[in-house]
Amino acid sequence: MMKIKNLVYFLKEALTSLARNQLLSIATVSTMTICILFLGVAVLMTVNAGSFMNRLESDIEIVAYLDSSISGTQITNIQDKIAAISGVKEVVFVTKTEALASMQKKFAEKDYNLEKTLGKNPLPDSFAVKAENPQEVAQVAQSVKEIPGVNKVNYGQGIVERLFQVTKWVRIISIGFVVILAIGAVFLIATAIRLAIFARRKEIYLMKLIGATDWFIRWPFFIEGILLGMAGAFISISLLAVGYGSLVSNLQTTLFFIPLVYQEDILINLYVSLLATGALLGVLGTYISLNRFLDV
Amino acid sequence: MLVQFYNVSKLYKNGVKALNDVSLKIDRGEFIFLMGPSGAGKSTLVKMLFREETPTQGQIFVASRSIVRMKRSEVPQLRRSMGVVFQDFKLLENKTVAENIAFAMKVVGAKEKDIGARTAEVIKMVGLKGKENSFPGQLSGGEQQRVGIARAIVNRPLLLIADEPSGNLDMDTALEIMDLLYDINRKGTTIVMATHARELVKTAGKRVITLEAGRVLSDVSGTEFR
Repeated sequence: MMKIKNLVYFLKEALTSLARNQLLSIATVSTMTICILFLGVAVLMTVNAGSFMNRLESDIEIVAYLDSSISGTQITNIQDKIAAISGVKEVVFVTKTEALASMQKKFAEKDYNLEKTLGKNPLPDSFAVKAENPQEVAQVAQSVKEIPGVNKVNYGQGIVERLFQVTKWVRIISIGFVVILAIGAVFLIATAIRLAIFARRKEIYLMKLIGATDWFIRWPFFIEGILLGMAGAFISISLLAVGYGSLVSNLQTTLFFIPLVYQEDILINLYVSLLATGALLGVLGTYISLNRFLDV
Repeated sequence: MLVQFYNVSKLYKNGVKALNDVSLKIDRGEFIFLMGPSGAGKSTLVKMLFREETPTQGQIFVASRSIVRMKRSEVPQLRRSMGVVFQDFKLLENKTVAENIAFAMKVVGAKEKDIGARTAEVIKMVGLKGKENSFPGQLSGGEQQRVGIARAIVNRPLLLIADEPSGNLDMDTALEIMDLLYDINRKGTTIVMATHARELVKTAGKRVITLEAGRVLSDVSGTEFR
């Protein structure tokens, strides 16, 4: 499809055209920048929503309260049985003393002693159980409940099911939003590139009449599209990196309970993908716009 | 036989019937004038030669190959055997004379070292030596058309198609361009030239095909044309 000998020619043609049509190049890059910026923001929001949802889901915990008569080896027995249930990720034994201490910490002021007020520790020993897959929590809880010695199981019945509904829709809507934005970007970019190609329609017509193949004509435009796309992507990625970076560092100190995704490898992956998306949008936009002019 | 038209008709989508049952043959080495008023179908016929248009009915053969049944991917090869000269020259304004001519060789993938030699040869042939590095905007109309002709013949076509090549030129310049075309024809290239210029045609003594309302009105040798 492309000979190496021609590659140099194609590159030269693409660069010459970029230099010659500076205004149109700037217009195309601006369009690209805006599209990819929006796309990047949407993807960041999707990633954060996803990570937030994951966190909510993985926070779901089954608490299995034991009969008050259970003690010693029986406890170890029950722990082994729970651990043997398929889909269980981890089982942690929580003594009644620990449970009370944790409650004291959560609900009461330091100088207000729960145990003294209540007269005794009313809490039973319990197991905190985590499921491998949050979606399986209800099943796991049912299995735990059937173990003799387990008095009661609590995992936020009702609320959990609703949470799954919400997270499912948040995921669908945010991905749909990204897809719609990407389609819009393709058409916007195709329009910008069409202007650049329109300015050179005479040249394309001539090349066709002289007997150039479609691919010979396409390559310089594709290279141009890739370069413009990557330039636009580069600008928007820089803006995103700076903007998101400062957002993360600000929120971490002020609104620390909002968990933003800041892992470097995830962000670098995202930025590289956006750069590739820029190149792809450039090619796609060029392809859509160019075909009409090749039909001679 | 280089070109054969068999009962060719062209009906455009907007309902205009540009050609109506046209049959004609062009031999290798001929020089043919295509005459007729505007709208007679000259442009459509010319465009069919290099397959910018295809007939809605009939068959066209160029060098014994049907260009109606030709695949899209085969069209570039067909066009490489032809050169086209336009009324408005269609030169690339931002390229020099030499670059405009070399462009036609680059586009068909010629070797770099052949391009330089052949371009220089053709520039000399059309009488533009010394103007290699001028831009089209710095040339007269006649000189620009010489560049157009040089570009059309640089790939050594079998058939040269000239669509009103003297339409934008004064009489003296037009005659110079005609001399250049006759010269190219004498060296073996078949030429089809669409034109309005009766004066040029009358004195030429070449074959003249006259179209009217999409039909061949007459097809006569030059001496009979009045």
